[in-house]
Amino acid sequence: MNVAVPIPALSVRALRAGYPGGGDIVRGISVDLAPETILAVIGPNGSGKSSFVKTLAGLLRSREGSIEVTGKEVTNLSPARRVRAGLAYVPQEANVFRNLTIAENLKLAVEFLRGRSGVGPAQEAEVLAMFPEIARQPKVLAGNLSGGQRQMLAFACALVSNPEVLLLDEPTAGLSPKFVEETMQAVLRVRDAGVTVLLVEQNVAAALRFADEVMVLVAGRKSCHVAPSVLSGADLTDLFFGGASA
Amino acid sequence: MVGQLIVDGLATGLLLALPSLALTVVFGILKFPNFAIGATLTLGAYAAWVANTFLQLPLFAAGAVAALVVAAVCVLSDMLVFARLRDAGSIVLLVASMGLSLVLENICRFSFGNATRNFDVAIERPIRWHGLRISHEQLTSAVTVVVCVVLVQLVIYGSPLGRAMRATADNPTLAAVRGVERETIVRITWVLAGALLAIAGVLAGLDRAVDPLLGWSYQIPAFAAAILGGLGSPFGAVVGALVIGLAEELSVLVLPTNYRQAVSFAIILVLLLMRTQGLLGAKAVRR
Repeated sequence: MNVAVPIPALSVRALRAGYPGGGDIVRGISVDLAPETILAVIGPNGSGKSSFVKTLAGLLRSREGSIEVTGKEVTNLSPARRVRAGLAYVPQEANVFRNLTIAENLKLAVEFLRGRSGVGPAQEAEVLAMFPEIARQPKVLAGNLSGGQRQMLAFACALVSNPEVLLLDEPTAGLSPKFVEETMQAVLRVRDAGVTVLLVEQNVAAALRFADEVMVLVAGRKSCHVAPSVLSGADLTDLFFGGASA
Repeated sequence: MVGQLIVDGLATGLLLALPSLALTVVFGILKFPNFAIGATLTLGAYAAWVANTFLQLPLFAAGAVAALVVAAVCVLSDMLVFARLRDAGSIVLLVASMGLSLVLENICRFSFGNATRNFDVAIERPIRWHGLRISHEQLTSAVTVVVCVVLVQLVIYGSPLGRAMRATADNPTLAAVRGVERETIVRITWVLAGALLAIAGVLAGLDRAVDPLLGWSYQIPAFAAAILGGLGSPFGAVVGALVIGLAEELSVLVLPTNYRQAVSFAIILVLLLMRTQGLLGAKAVRR
């Protein structure tokens, strides 16, 4: 009897990438991510976390390897076409259009996704129900929102595209502890709504508390990919600075 | 006399509105001041002149043909020149646009010679109204420019395309990960700028005559208008154009007529010293 193996929401194979004229920053990373899980990518500064997520989003060209979203190859697609293939990305900074209103930010997020299933008023209503504070003030310029509110708007814009996989680059960077908690709770709600989340996080404590899986990057390479409970403070110090692998 | 100067100033300002709008739209998306606006405007005037005199098309239709031709030339110049230098920085793109300006101007010169040309339109007496003299060319220009400006504002602030253009101007990387193809928006921006410059060329040719240096008369004032309004702000460009037009015409009350053009330079200089973001532009933030 054949047992059906679920298709990973995100499958990355031997991915290498770097900036033009420079060496590889992402060095042969492979990872499979099951649907509806949260994977936190952690590591010391300069370990290639943000470059990895930018390569997945298509903002940094991959030199080798492949990226698949629910079994569909997206490696050579432009960032815009990756969104249509189900891969949404929220950058660390400048993650909303400051000169557009909240309503315009949300409209723009779906206007150019012709043919993407599940995109429409029902999805928008569902997403706005997750972020009532954003839904209440559609005419406010995004540039006038607080850091936490901008983060929520950025999440909402990514989610109205009904993504299979959501990539978040340091979603809690620069937020107060209250907003860190709110942001991570929002990430849990997103996961519970059926979206797979890959988040790059400097806040290791928050990452270990909320993620289902943790991947540690050191010098552009995957050092380990385990359940958060496996990692202790001592393990992390060793992994970040001692170069051990698991 | 002041009333007549105000009428003439508004007419001059409206003539400047389209080139300064084209300049600011391209600057908003591509972040470089396109020095080829004058030559592109001249090309538009010649394209309309050919359609008007050789193809015997009425001026309105000739203007539409010119808009299509110049839009195509702008897209082609983006593909051949600007796209290859996209990541090279604004100074390199500015210098490239200077080169393109010389190429376009000399194409016009070699193709049509240095002689001045006129459109095949009937000459009509100006309208007299409360002692003011308003020419039919001024009326035609005013109506055309107002229609164009309203259409551009509707596109930019009331359509998905305009939202995508404003989003790309605000943050091109984020626009890309929201599903907006930047290159498509860039090409559409060139089409819009080309069409505006071609129509400006027709109106300039009506106001003066068509010659290879026609665009130079509008180059510096259009830059002054766009900078005054705040580079990147379409509404600001139109307001800036009207202010420059009025300032140039009213300056003859206190300055000799041949110093009129110096007003644009003076306004650029004062703005660079006092208010670099212009009247309606957002203050640049260095991150």
